[in-house]
Amino acid sequence: MPQIPLQEFWYLLPEGFLLVAGMVLLIGSSVGKGVSSRSATMFSLAAVAATAVLVLWVASDGPGRPILAGMFVLDNYAVYWKILLLGATALTAVLSCRFVEESGYRAGEFFSLLLTATTGMLLMAGGFNLLSIWISLELMALSSYILAGYFKFETRSNEAALKYFVLGALSSGILLYGMSLLYGATGELGLVEIATALPEAAKTAPTLIAIGWLMMAIGLFFKVSAVPFHVWTPDVYVGSPTPVTAFLAVGSKAASFAVLVRIFYQAIPALAQDWQIITAAVAAVTMIWGNLAALTQNNVKRMLAYSSIGHAGYILMGVLAMSDDGLWAILFYTAAYALITLGTFGTVILLERKEYAGETYEDYAGLARRAPYLAAMMLLFMLALTGIPPTGGFFGKVYLFAAAVEAGWTWVAVVGVLTSALSLYYYFGIVVQMYFKESDETTPVPLQEPVLAAAIGFCALVTLLLGILPGPLVDLAMSSLLPLP
Amino acid sequence: MFDWIHNLPILSIVTYLPLVGALLIIFVMKKENGEGIKRFATFVALLDLVISLPLWFEFDRDGALFQFTETASWIPSLGVEYRFGIDGIALLLVLLTTLLGVIAILSSWTAVKERQKEYYVFMLMLQTGMLGVFMALDFFLFYVFWEVMLVPMYFLIGIWGGARKLYAAIKFFLYTLVGSVLMLLGILALYFYNSTGLLGIEGLGNERTFDILKFHEIGAQIPSDLQWWIFLAFFVGFAIKVPMFPFHTWLPDAHVEAPTAGSVILAGVLLKMGTYGFVRFSLPILPEGTQALLPWMVGLSLVGIVYGGLCAMAQKDMKKLVAYSSVSHLGFVMLGIFALNSAGLNGGILQMINHGLSTGALFLLVGVIYERRHTRMISEYGGLSAKMPLFATIFLIITLSSIGLPTLNGFVGEFTILVGAFNRTWWWALVGALGIVIGAAYMLWMFQRVFFGPLNNPENENLEDLNKRELLYLMPLVILCFWIGLYPKPFFEVLEKPVDYIVRKVDPDYAANVATLPAAAELTEAAE
Repeated sequence: MPQIPLQEFWYLLPEGFLLVAGMVLLIGSSVGKGVSSRSATMFSLAAVAATAVLVLWVASDGPGRPILAGMFVLDNYAVYWKILLLGATALTAVLSCRFVEESGYRAGEFFSLLLTATTGMLLMAGGFNLLSIWISLELMALSSYILAGYFKFETRSNEAALKYFVLGALSSGILLYGMSLLYGATGELGLVEIATALPEAAKTAPTLIAIGWLMMAIGLFFKVSAVPFHVWTPDVYVGSPTPVTAFLAVGSKAASFAVLVRIFYQAIPALAQDWQIITAAVAAVTMIWGNLAALTQNNVKRMLAYSSIGHAGYILMGVLAMSDDGLWAILFYTAAYALITLGTFGTVILLERKEYAGETYEDYAGLARRAPYLAAMMLLFMLALTGIPPTGGFFGKVYLFAAAVEAGWTWVAVVGVLTSALSLYYYFGIVVQMYFKESDETTPVPLQEPVLAAAIGFCALVTLLLGILPGPLVDLAMSSLLPLP
Repeated sequence: MFDWIHNLPILSIVTYLPLVGALLIIFVMKKENGEGIKRFATFVALLDLVISLPLWFEFDRDGALFQFTETASWIPSLGVEYRFGIDGIALLLVLLTTLLGVIAILSSWTAVKERQKEYYVFMLMLQTGMLGVFMALDFFLFYVFWEVMLVPMYFLIGIWGGARKLYAAIKFFLYTLVGSVLMLLGILALYFYNSTGLLGIEGLGNERTFDILKFHEIGAQIPSDLQWWIFLAFFVGFAIKVPMFPFHTWLPDAHVEAPTAGSVILAGVLLKMGTYGFVRFSLPILPEGTQALLPWMVGLSLVGIVYGGLCAMAQKDMKKLVAYSSVSHLGFVMLGIFALNSAGLNGGILQMINHGLSTGALFLLVGVIYERRHTRMISEYGGLSAKMPLFATIFLIITLSSIGLPTLNGFVGEFTILVGAFNRTWWWALVGALGIVIGAAYMLWMFQRVFFGPLNNPENENLEDLNKRELLYLMPLVILCFWIGLYPKPFFEVLEKPVDYIVRKVDPDYAANVATLPAAAELTEAAE
């Protein structure tokens, strides 16, 4: 065991800080009447902002170095994901504020869990060892299970939590088993060490390695909800409180992709030939099934669940390219996708404030008349999800396709472009309602929650900006790549 | 006289002026103020036309191939640049777009009564999208405009369209989107071939770029099977837009359901984006691919000419008839382009303009009568020439122009196309001529049924003739039809250089006989 210098623990300061903040919130909320949703939101935002500053501060001190005996790493790749995840958490907190307040459930615990889940995600982004990755992933997952079931008197929420927990635990088990097989074959847990030991081990224990990486991949495909490991997604997305759905669709998915790419590129690049074929098949099936199933939905949250499955397929296309282009496209697209998705769910929440309104397509009828700016922003999000310019969604998608073409996976790219054209049909189901249908309700949508409206506006503005001037984010993503073999 | 336009980013101004107008309407004008909005929108479109007209005078016929170029860096790390510039082909299409823009907006004054604010916003945004397509010299930029433009058109059909508007709108959008995403893959293949290579084919190792002129330059070096695939990818995108048989099925729906102004823009400008794509990209960049698939291209064009004509003949609805006639006419344009010689291309490109003028006018005329009677069924009419003499006269002129009667524009275009086709293979011209006969049959038959005979439908008794506004927007089209018909020389002069350039690129035999090609760098005027 190498000696770990104590001061290296300072590098975990951001994660530690966020965890402590979550604990403080938890304790604070159990004193007396607890904390109000508003103050909990403010507290979470402050904690997230401070964490972001700490992440950048710590990163400025020697990035690229594995720390704590190779448990974690502080490279640009990790920093990019951490900032992205913190941004997603901040927006989720804003989305949740009014929602939790009106639900009548206790606010302190909700936001506390949000912060612990984010801590897990940050650790995942920096994880450099199978063990630390798995533990971080469990921290995120356990917090998310509770969040999914947070509305404990709603049957749908209970159902979501139970399904999420059972299937999530199963996938974690598969992932862990795969990891242990790989450990058995190579005798290593560190990603780079595994990569080094792999060629030698492949001679002695090829079956062990094959089963090991395959189970690991399956576990990760579960987490990013790729077909055929997606079955938990629609029910969990529909049943969870909508801000939690947004959090799962963005934060949890992004962190899982960060880990997936890290493991595939840094631990098992030697097996690229094998996992590329599997990933290509999974990506194609995911794009086809996600988009086809989304076509038939009449519940907006369910449609968005399938659409998020489809988008996992597009991102997997970048993974299998295994090139710089593919990698930065993943980083860019995930950021754009996060903003678009959070903006979309923000709109759903804004409409949802009356019970479960906002969940059927008809709830959007005549929105262009009742709230023209909100409708215009929703239109922008739908265009961005389809991948039509001038939006960040378009730009990201183009380069995911480009990476696949460049790497010779043209058939996957063809499936990608065709399914993405097809997706227009169901995204525009909402547009049809907003612009072409009249509603009995003539009252304007109350935008009484200015912060929420501002958050949606922010997402829309950045989505548009990323479509018109994507340069800065492209450059940032290009400087946050992993070294490729 | 118009020297000053050289000191301005004139193309960007022409492109974005309508967008600025649309934004002003969104943020400044109240939706209750429909009257003010339509006047303002008309003013913006008219201003755009006025600003674009000096391009015609200042465009140097003997100068560089692409003029008024503008270049700015956009996403440097990816080689995406903001590049605008027009050659003679684009010049004509830009002017056609700004002209039809004003006309389309003028024609909507009384036709569009509800949701006027949104309507004029979408109309103006559509203008920006279309102008950008014709001016872009960067393939990425081109693609952005190409797709952006679909959104306002979708709304124009979907909100202000006829009975089956939702179906027609989404069909239009989906069809064109499927085509364009496949085209995107073709663009990306070119992009990687020029730089790092793809699919195991070694690239040329150049800097990453989407510069269209660069692609023109490397075109001949692309291996034939890759050319074949890229051509196919482009083909799907452009052929759906044109539309070529058998990709035309979105067109009758979209045209019939769209409001009048939407049909005018669709037929007048949008369809040209497809043919423009072939001329600008497929032919010069992929000469081998073009040659390899030539029989298919010509075959589909010929089928389109005859099939479109026969379908038009069977229609009972005037608008649908005009819509199918577009399939036939665009088949002609494609025939001219794929004759791959000077005459054919000249004729094909001129016919693009002619079709924009004549068919645009036909849709306007059908719109005029529809606004009065709310039906487009030919059987509802008859004997209108007595009640609406002015309307009948203009309708006749446009009908004759569409048929291709000498002294009118259609004749010049079709004749040149046939010369070009004949020079290649005589029977192509024969089938084309057959198409003209069919065209004369359905157009004149419609004219006869609508305007002659007894006026026996009592509802037609009180029809009013054209009013001043309608006359105002129809007259420019009539004048242009005569101008091109009687004196087409200025138009051919503008086209001479670009056509020569394309023919040399696409036809190696031709290129071998004439002097060697100038490099792309020499063709672009320095952007000062």
